[in-house]
Amino acid sequence: MLLYTVPAVLSVLVVVLVELLWLRTGVFRTARYWLAMLIVLGFQVPVDGWLTKLSDPIVLYEEAEMTGVRFPWDIPVEDFAFGFGMVTLTMLVWLRLGEREDRRARTPSLQETP
Amino acid sequence: MRAGRSRRSSRVAAAAAGRPDPGERVDQYQYLLVLAGCLLITLPLELVLGARVWRRPRRLLLTLLPVVVVYSVWDVLAIESGMWDYSERFTTGILLPFAMPLEELAFFVVIPICGLLTLEAVGNVLAGLRALRAGAGLREAALVVHRGGAR
Repeated sequence: MLLYTVPAVLSVLVVVLVELLWLRTGVFRTARYWLAMLIVLGFQVPVDGWLTKLSDPIVLYEEAEMTGVRFPWDIPVEDFAFGFGMVTLTMLVWLRLGEREDRRARTPSLQETP
Repeated sequence: MRAGRSRRSSRVAAAAAGRPDPGERVDQYQYLLVLAGCLLITLPLELVLGARVWRRPRRLLLTLLPVVVVYSVWDVLAIESGMWDYSERFTTGILLPFAMPLEELAFFVVIPICGLLTLEAVGNVLAGLRALRAGAGLREAALVVHRGGAR
């Protein structure tokens, strides 16, 4: 029952908690994150829309495991939670690794090597 | 999309000539072609807007690793439990371990890359706008964007 809906919502919660309790990149307080997510969302609609269109679907879903709400076009609303979690997690890891890179770059012994 | 139109016209031609439908051969690459389109359309973010995602391959690989693992496990469990499935017509049929379609691995690599390119490009554009507001000229601000923000 709702084996897509529930994990999709949970994945968003887990990713948010990973940021707040563990990675702490602070990205949720930046304009660039929210703007980027808005743009990602804008492109998710045509791409996901193409993959899930009921007239010629590339991905087929078991309707019993989701709310059945499809919007816009035939996109299962759960896909937006799935995508939000996946892209956000990627950004968190990327930024966290970047912080480490920057710290290493600031270490003089490494920076001075020609 | 163009793939749809060419498929239909080639099908008509094939039917008229009594040959096997060449559209079906193109169809099996449709999912991969959608993903290739995503990479193509985001390439200017790296080349013009200074995103520097492709140019940091080590950091990119380390980033993708946990994401691909987590979402592949979800995908495999979902396929096994019949939660979702993939069209045989629009996929190559190439299966990875645990019966995960090749296209799904590609999806978990391509879409995160597109997200990172967007994040970095937006950051650079915002840095360019800040430079403008601080009195920089258009050319100078464009350089800030292209070089990858304040770096």
